[in-house]
Amino acid sequence: MTNNILSLFQLCDSNLPTGAFSHSFGLESYIQEDKVYDKETFFEWLKVYLHEQLIYTDGLASLLVYEALTEGNIQEIWHLDRLLTVQNLPRETREGTQMIGDRMLKLTESLYELPILSQYRAEIKKKNAFGHPAIVFTMVAHGLEVEKQDTIRFYLYSSISSQIQNAVRAIPLGQTAGQMITHNFIPELNAAVDKILQLSKDDFGIVSPGIELSQMQHERVNIRIFMS
Amino acid sequence: MTNWTGSLSLDLEDRKGKTVAKRVYFQGALKVMRPIYLDDSGQVCYYLLNPGGGYLDGDRYKLEFTADEGSKVTLTTQSATKVYKTPKSHAYQETTIHLKKDSYLEYLPDPLIAYENAHYKQKNVVHMDRGATFLSTDILTPGWSPSGGKFSYDTIQLVSEIYVDGQIGVFDHIKLVPKQQSVSGLGFMEGYTHLGSMLVVSEYTNNAFIDELYEAIQLEQADFKAGISKLAVSGFSIRILANSTQVIERILNNCHKLISEKWLNRTPNSLRKY
Repeated sequence: MTNNILSLFQLCDSNLPTGAFSHSFGLESYIQEDKVYDKETFFEWLKVYLHEQLIYTDGLASLLVYEALTEGNIQEIWHLDRLLTVQNLPRETREGTQMIGDRMLKLTESLYELPILSQYRAEIKKKNAFGHPAIVFTMVAHGLEVEKQDTIRFYLYSSISSQIQNAVRAIPLGQTAGQMITHNFIPELNAAVDKILQLSKDDFGIVSPGIELSQMQHERVNIRIFMS
Repeated sequence: MTNWTGSLSLDLEDRKGKTVAKRVYFQGALKVMRPIYLDDSGQVCYYLLNPGGGYLDGDRYKLEFTADEGSKVTLTTQSATKVYKTPKSHAYQETTIHLKKDSYLEYLPDPLIAYENAHYKQKNVVHMDRGATFLSTDILTPGWSPSGGKFSYDTIQLVSEIYVDGQIGVFDHIKLVPKQQSVSGLGFMEGYTHLGSMLVVSEYTNNAFIDELYEAIQLEQADFKAGISKLAVSGFSIRILANSTQVIERILNNCHKLISEKWLNRTPNSLRKY
């Protein structure tokens, strides 16, 4: 429903206090190694991050969770929550994601009275689930009756836009450069959604070795402005 | 689909401190050589081999291992796994491993070499009891082509699933498709040609030991890039990017040696055959 889109916009706002601004998901390792140093190199990095990691993890999970919610197959959601967590081999990235998921759940629980959110909380309390932002986001979007492909599109936009904000601060880039990147990245996001709609469960969890390695290496970075 | 090009199954048990086979079975293009005891620790070592000398179009291989309580085993290969071009259907290998409490299984295969236009998929599934230890390594080379070009294979896909007490604890999925990705570049291989991995699940894992392994990795002199991190379950993973099999083997061997010394109280012998 179109009049619910604004409600979902709220979750895409980079001011949403989930702590996403303290996680670079390995970007900081590339910045420190001088591999990412301007808007062109950052754009390249962002493309790999989206098309080679995010679509097979968070993006595909969002699609599968949406379908599970439609079918009322709740057990499948807890299974996906676990898979998302255990496929995330770098500790900082895994724990960071869990923290963001937890905060987003807390926030949305106070904004919406969706039973599925309380169920998610109960599963986390029982240690049957870990908490993941893609799952919380998809639960809210499904509750707001936003369509599947738009749910994925908005989720990817929110992840990518917080990474762009991180890059603006860390590289650093000007605010205008940040907006240019966001603008030029929109076709990439749309292409990613089209690709995710074609994926199946067999594609879940594919990672790009370099990005993953940089996320592991971040644990050993001495001076840091990000937690991952 | 029960038509396997080769299948192999090996069940192990501990008999008074010595690990022996309870049952050995193989057929088709897979074979296990006679057991070798490299020292007096009781740990057995088996060399697996593919008498055909390489994986061909549409080949399907199935391996199954079971280690009973207290048994200790090293599994390795006799030479690199070569996957030749697969014009019709990809080559596939599936390995299932069951580990009982206090068993130890390490799977240390030689590198994978995928030839021009080869498509290979590998799936490893491990079911372990808490208290067992599982260690595996993988080395992916840039493959081989007559022109000497790198990354001329079609697809390499490796999936690993490790279940601890029935619940999934590790999921690892690597899929390299050089024609669709800029495999050598940023975010992928970062300009390197070889990728090495080690996955370890064990209750013995702790942060101090991970730090020790990290220090050991840094001793390598050649150009490489590596990361080590704690898993969601008790264990850790290592990824290494380098420009030769030898560099990755050296780093993995150093880590393996530390693990054997600390956890098994034994110094491993070299497994390589050339």
